[in-house]
Amino acid sequence: MALEFDRSIIGQIFDETAFPPVTKEEILAFTTALGEKNPLYTDEAAAAKGPYGGLVAPPTFVTKLRAQKFTPEHLPKFGKMGFDGGRDLEIHAPVRPGDALKMASTIHDIYEKTGRTGSMYFIVIRNEITNQKGEKVAVIDHRIMQR
Amino acid sequence: MARILDMHLHSEASDDSRAPVEAYLKWLARKRDERPLEGLVLTEHRQFNKAGDYRDLEDKYGLLILKASEVETDYGHMLVYGVNDDILNRFDFKNVRLSAQEVISEVARLGGIAMPCHPGRPTIGLIEHYQKRPPLEGVVGVEALNGGSKKGENERVAGLVQAYGYHAFGGSDSHLVSFVGLCATEFDRDIKTIEDLVDTLRAGGYRPLDFRVQRPQTPIAPEVPYHGSGI
Amino acid sequence: MSIVYFEDVEEGDELPGLDFFLSKDQVRQYARTAGMYVPRFTDDEGARAEGLPGMIAPGVMSMGLLARMISDWNAAAQIKRIGTTFRSPVLPDRDIHLRGAVTQKDETDHTAECDIWIENDDGERWVIGTATLALPSKA
Repeated sequence: MALEFDRSIIGQIFDETAFPPVTKEEILAFTTALGEKNPLYTDEAAAAKGPYGGLVAPPTFVTKLRAQKFTPEHLPKFGKMGFDGGRDLEIHAPVRPGDALKMASTIHDIYEKTGRTGSMYFIVIRNEITNQKGEKVAVIDHRIMQR
Repeated sequence: MARILDMHLHSEASDDSRAPVEAYLKWLARKRDERPLEGLVLTEHRQFNKAGDYRDLEDKYGLLILKASEVETDYGHMLVYGVNDDILNRFDFKNVRLSAQEVISEVARLGGIAMPCHPGRPTIGLIEHYQKRPPLEGVVGVEALNGGSKKGENERVAGLVQAYGYHAFGGSDSHLVSFVGLCATEFDRDIKTIEDLVDTLRAGGYRPLDFRVQRPQTPIAPEVPYHGSGI
Repeated sequence: MSIVYFEDVEEGDELPGLDFFLSKDQVRQYARTAGMYVPRFTDDEGARAEGLPGMIAPGVMSMGLLARMISDWNAAAQIKRIGTTFRSPVLPDRDIHLRGAVTQKDETDHTAECDIWIENDDGERWVIGTATLALPSKA
C-alpha cells in the first residue's frame, strides 16, 4: 500500500492543550519513578541554591504531557497499531512547580520505511511546549510507527 | 593502504543517524588498537549522498572513505556499492519496495554490485524470504556479520552462505559514533577506490571481522570455506 | 552526587553506566505517574493482545532512565537535547544495562555530545540515541 495523503496537513497546528499547574507532588512522583537522586529534582532546599533557584522537574518530565488530541482527527490511517518509534526532545527551560504549560501539536512529517516487523509508516508529531511566561520550554518530536 | 573496512554505516545524511563523518573518523583514530580499521563505507538509507565530499577528511585522518547506499527491496535490505548515475536513473532509491532481482541484476549490469545485508533479520533479511520464494539469481555475497543484529541473526547466515556459496563480509550498521567498526571486513587486496571495492566484492578474497568485546566469540561458520579466501 | 566539568571530560570517555533489574512494578509505577496506565505497559495478557511479547516499558521511560544515567554521572550536566530510537520493546523483569560515551566536545559552548543506549544481557541494543549536554566549566 503506497503512501498517499494530503500533504497540506504537514505543519498545521491540530491541537492546543493547556495543562493545570504542575505540582511539586507530580514532580517528586516522576522523579521517584525514575529513581532520580539529583537534589535539583528531589530536595527543595538544595535546589534553591542550585542554578535554577528552586526545585525543577527532571528533563523528560514534559514527555508525560498528553494533548487532548494526540493525532489530528482526519489523519489517514496507515496501519492498525501505533508504536512509539522514538522521541527527540529539545529542552529550552526547566519546569517548576506552579508552571502552567501549554502544548501546540503539529504533524511534522510522514514517511515510509521497512524494518524487522515489516512495512512501517512513520508519522512525526511535533509538540511545542510553552509556559505561563510565554517562554519556550521544550520541543518534542514523536516518531509514531504504524503497521 | 586499506585492507580492513567497515562496510555498513550511516552518517547524519541518513534520517536515523546524527553521526558526523568526522566524528566517526576521530573515534576510529582513538580506538585504533581495538578496531584497527583503515577505512569506512558510508551506506546511507534510501539515497546516494552525491554531494558528500570527504577527501579533506581522508587526508586529515589517513582513512579511506567510500560512499554507497542501503536500499529496501521485496527480499529485504541491500547495500549497493559502486553507485553511479546510470544506477540512480534506473532505480528510485526512496522506493521501499524495489524489485530485489532487478536490483541485483541491473546494478551489476550497470557497473556496481548489490549485496543483501543483515540476511538473518526478520522481514528485511534474505533468509526469511528464501523460505517462501525462489532464491535470487546473481547474488555474489551477503553481509554475514552485522553489528546491529540480535542474537542468532548472524549465526543463521552461516547456513545461507554454505547452501549458496555466497561470499561473506561484515559491517557495523552503526548509527551512533561509538559503534563504528565493531564489525568490519578484511580484504586480501588493497582497496583504494570504489572501483577496487566493486571488483573485489565480485571476485572474492575477503571475510568478516568481529571487533566487539566482552562477548563470547561466536564463530562465523569457521568450517565454511569462503570463496576466494585461500583456505 | 558528583560534578564533572567540561575540562575533565574527553572524547572517547565511557560514562559509568547503570545496571539494574527493571521490575514490572517499577514500570507500572512509572506508567501510573506518567498517566500511561494502559495494558501495554502494565499487564502481560493485555500487552499480548496487542501483539507484544508481554508488558513493555514505555519508550519515554527508557529515555527518562538514560537521562538519569547522565544525572547520576554528573549532577551538573544540563541536557539540552536528548533523542532516542526505540528499536525493540524494553521488556521488564530482567536486567538492563544503560551505557553512554562522550563522542564530541564543543569548546565554543562547553557542550558535549554523548551516545546513549540500553542493552540487554546479550548485548542487543534495544534503545539507541544521543544527548547534547551543557557542562559546567572551570574557566
